Amino acid sequence: MLKNILKLLISLLNVGKHLFKRPVTLEYPEKKNSKPENFRGVPVVNKCIKCGTCINVCPSGAIQIEENQFFINLKKCIFCGNCSYYCPVKAIKMSDKYETAVSDKNELILTYDIKVSEVKDV
Amino acid sequence: MNYLYFLYMEFLAKHNIPQLFGDITFFCIPITIIFAALLVIVLALVLFERKLLGWFTQRKGPNRVGFWGVLQTLADAFKLLCKENITPSGANRFLFNLAPIMMFTPALVVLGIIPYSSEFTFISTETNLLLFVIFSALPVLSILIGGKSSDNKYALLGAVRNIAQILAYELPIAFSLMSIMVLASSMNLTGIMLAQSTKYGALGWFWIPCFIGFVVIFICTLAELNRCPFDLPEAESELICGYNTEYSGMRFALFYLGEYTLLLANALFISILFLGGYLSPFGKYISPILFSQNVGNIVLYFEQAFWLFLKAFFVIFIVIWIRATMPRMASFDLLKFSWCRLLPVSILNLFIVIIIKYFGGLYA
Repeated sequence: MLKNILKLLISLLNVGKHLFKRPVTLEYPEKKNSKPENFRGVPVVNKCIKCGTCINVCPSGAIQIEENQFFINLKKCIFCGNCSYYCPVKAIKMSDKYETAVSDKNELILTYDIKVSEVKDV
Repeated sequence: MNYLYFLYMEFLAKHNIPQLFGDITFFCIPITIIFAALLVIVLALVLFERKLLGWFTQRKGPNRVGFWGVLQTLADAFKLLCKENITPSGANRFLFNLAPIMMFTPALVVLGIIPYSSEFTFISTETNLLLFVIFSALPVLSILIGGKSSDNKYALLGAVRNIAQILAYELPIAFSLMSIMVLASSMNLTGIMLAQSTKYGALGWFWIPCFIGFVVIFICTLAELNRCPFDLPEAESELICGYNTEYSGMRFALFYLGEYTLLLANALFISILFLGGYLSPFGKYISPILFSQNVGNIVLYFEQAFWLFLKAFFVIFIVIWIRATMPRMASFDLLKFSWCRLLPVSILNLFIVIIIKYFGGLYA
C-alpha cells in the first residue's frame, strides 16, 4: 500500500510540473506555427513556357494548359511537388499557403494567365 | 451576526424606518447575499477548474470569450438557458422535474451553515457539524430520483452506483468527524474552529494531530462529490453521462451548479475542520497591525473571509490536480477500498486522537 501511495505522489508531481511549462497549443487564427523550409502548399505559376512537362508528371492529373491559361485543380492536387521539381524553368513553385477552404467549389480551380510574348524557342 | 445586525438597524433608524421592518427583512439579506456570492463564486470555480485542467495538460484553457476567457462560463450558462427542456416520454414527469431542485437546495442550505467570519454566520446551532453532514449527503437522493425517473438504463445504473458509493464512504467520514469532535469537544463549526486557535498558527490546527483523518475525509469527499477518481456515477466512457443523461437545458444547469456548489461547500468544510477556518496561519491577524483601531475592526472580517476562501481554494486546487492525474477506479475496487482500507484506518485515527486528547498537551 505504501508503494502505491508513493507511486501516486510521483505521478501527481509529474502532472504538477506541467503548470510551469509553456502551453504547446496556439490561438490558431491569430498565431500560427512556423512552417518548415521545403513546405509544399498551394502551387503558384509564374513565367510558364508551356512545355507540358508538368502535365505528364502530375500523378493525379490536376494540371491543364489551354491557350493562354494555366489551370491547377486543387480538388485533384495532392501537393506532391512533382511539377515544381521537374519544371525546366522553375516556373511552378510550391507556396507556403495551406488554408484552402472556400465557399464555392469552382474557386478551387486556380487559373493563371500565361503571357504568350514571353514564350520563346520551345 | 450581531455586528451586521447592529449596522443594519442603525442604517434603518437613520432613515426613520420602524425596527419591525428591519427585524423581518434582516433574514432575507443573508439569503440574497448567499445567492449572489454563490453564483459568482461557482461561475468563477468552473472557469478555475477548466483553466487549471488546461494548464495541467499544457493547453491554454478557455481563452476566447472575454479577456482571458473570463466570460466563458457565463456564455455556457446563457447557452444552457436558451436550450429546450426535453422530457423523455417514458419519464415520471413530477419526479423528473423535482430531482434538479432537490440537488440544488441542500447545496444552498449547506453554504448557510458555514461560518465565514466571526460575525458572519447565518445558521449557528450547537450541532452544526451533523447538519452539514446530513445536508451534504442529501443530493444522493436527488440523483437516485433523477436516475430512476428518467427511464434510461444508463441513468439508473449511474444512480445505483452512486448510492453504493455514498453508503460506503459516509462511514469513514463519520469516524473521522468523531475524532474531530473529540479534539474540539464541540459539534459547532465555530467552536471547532476556535479550538484550533493557538499561538503557533498553522502548526496548531487539527491537520497535525488528526492527519490520517484529514486524508480520509479528503478522499471520502472526493467520492461524495463524484469527482475523479471516483466519478463512477457519471463515467463518460461507460454510462454516457450517468444520472443526468436525459437532462438538458436549465435542469442540467441546476445539476451542474449544485455539484460545484457542493464542491465549494465541502472545500470550506474541510478547511474549517482541519485548516483552521478563518484563523490566520501566522497566529495573529494582519489587519489590526496595518490599520488603525476602527478601520481594522471592519477589515478584520474581510481578512478572516479571505483566509477561509484561500484555504478552500487550496483544497479545490488539489482536487483538480488529482482529477488531472488519476484514472477512474473500477466499481468493485471502489467499494473494497472504502470497506477494507479507509474504514479501519479511520477507526485507528479515532483511537490515536483519543490518546492525544487523554494525555493533553496543546489540545487538552
